[in-house]
Amino acid sequence: MRRARRFNINGMLVNAAALVLVLSYALPYVYLLMTSIKPAADVQQIPPSFLPAVVSLENFREVLQSSALPKAFASSLTVAVLTTVLSLAVAVPAAYVATQYRRRITTLFLLFALVTRMVPSVSLGVPLFQLLKALGLLDTIPGLVLAHTSAAVPLALLLMSAFFEGVPKELEEAARMDGCTRFQAFRKIILPVMTGGIAVTALFTFITSWNEFLYALLLTSEATKTAPIVIAEYNSVYGLAWGAMTAAAVLYSLPVIFVTLALQKQIVGGLTFGAVKG
Amino acid sequence: MSGEDRFVLCMLAPALAILGLLVAYPVGLLVFDSFFKVDTITPHIREWVGLKNYIDALTSKRVAESALRTIQYSVFALFFEFAFGFCAALLFSALPGRSRWHRTIFTLPLMVPPIVAGLLWRFLLVGNIGILNYGLVHLGIIRDADAIAWLSDEDIVIYSVSFADIWLTTSFVALVSYAGLTNIPKDLLEAARIDGANAFKRFWHVTLPLMRPVIAVIVIVRAVDAAKTFDLIWIQTQGGPNHASEVFSMNIYQRMVRFGDLGEASASGTLFLIVMMVLAAAAYWKIWRPAHA
Repeated sequence: MRRARRFNINGMLVNAAALVLVLSYALPYVYLLMTSIKPAADVQQIPPSFLPAVVSLENFREVLQSSALPKAFASSLTVAVLTTVLSLAVAVPAAYVATQYRRRITTLFLLFALVTRMVPSVSLGVPLFQLLKALGLLDTIPGLVLAHTSAAVPLALLLMSAFFEGVPKELEEAARMDGCTRFQAFRKIILPVMTGGIAVTALFTFITSWNEFLYALLLTSEATKTAPIVIAEYNSVYGLAWGAMTAAAVLYSLPVIFVTLALQKQIVGGLTFGAVKG
Repeated sequence: MSGEDRFVLCMLAPALAILGLLVAYPVGLLVFDSFFKVDTITPHIREWVGLKNYIDALTSKRVAESALRTIQYSVFALFFEFAFGFCAALLFSALPGRSRWHRTIFTLPLMVPPIVAGLLWRFLLVGNIGILNYGLVHLGIIRDADAIAWLSDEDIVIYSVSFADIWLTTSFVALVSYAGLTNIPKDLLEAARIDGANAFKRFWHVTLPLMRPVIAVIVIVRAVDAAKTFDLIWIQTQGGPNHASEVFSMNIYQRMVRFGDLGEASASGTLFLIVMMVLAAAAYWKIWRPAHA
């Protein structure tokens, strides 16, 4: 009897602590949302208030009517889509043979991909700047796609390898018995069963490119500025335009957050894959 | 060459080509450039200077200070991310019911773009309108809202800018730790309980040793990421005030873009690369695979 009651009190304490923790964790982002729907003048009032006194879409109207942000969103989207397509096209076949056909070259290859993940982007950014300059690709969409691909391919390789680990070798052998060539077995039998893993990998590469800042800062100027660059400029070019900045930040991050929440299970799975199984 | 080998090579070739062009060749170029006097605007004109760029970098006070700051930032951020994240994971796994919606909220910052996290925290901390100080006044912790100048006090700014990092990645630590904790066999903990081990002893002698590989991965991944940080700090302070929040990656960027010194930026970039590799390898052998050490 006494034991049961103590457990209950413990349980309530744990619950209360978890509740406080989780709510305070969400608070900063909620404040960003609240600020974005304040009238621009109220954003910089002293002292600040958490909730808006009046709800206004003024900040959103301002950033969407300027030509800079919609254009930047278009650039970001184009670059992210092309990066995802290119990275998956090269990483999926490579990850397949790297896990299913183990030999020295494939092991070295995966090790190389892992090491690549440790390279600081600023170290790679310096020579990439030169390379793109020599190719005449500075401040172009293909140039930025190549730069993002350098980071996305290793990521896609490691994720896809983790997914291919679970595919039994017999699947390909059975297809080959039925008269398929190795390529046909890969294209017609293996790929269709891997759509889930490919989708998660695509999502990760897309978000990596969508969120990327340093390469965009180094390698683009007027023509192909991406969304994070334009948002960062709200605080320098236009003075301290906090209202516009919060609205742009919400527009930029909210789609990603919705996708993350909707596909929570797969995303957390992808993130923890290597850590827990490795 | 057998048909099988040819197949492997065909499947591998595109990825090899991409990584060769976009990673191996640039890294080679980086190391090559580090031995020349070369300008960002005219990279085709180079003059051999041997180890001069390395000597300049290693004897520069500003470089040394930025390296020290990178360590301060990484250790501070990693400590709090790990402490908060691991405790949150323990709390979630101790919840009597399912912790699903708690964890749902915790996934919120997982994919938030770093520059949004940086701008958000700058907005929370900035002088005059930063709401954090008003909250602290309200709680009676500080006397007035100007008491702590988070982002303009040179002595504390390097720690203040890490709040955004801590907020952004505590969720990663929490969710990965939680996944690790749920993988621990229940019978092991139960057996320890029957043997008379209290909650603390069960944690210390059963949970912690079994979590070692998971903890190792978290620490390696997060330490490497924290040391590489650029965007999160750039967006909050651009390295200021008076370089007080300039970390190593930012120092390299400044020397390449502001001062146009590609050679010296390449030397620092090479050093940075080597240090990260050595650190990751050491961490890998020491923590992840203690049996081999």
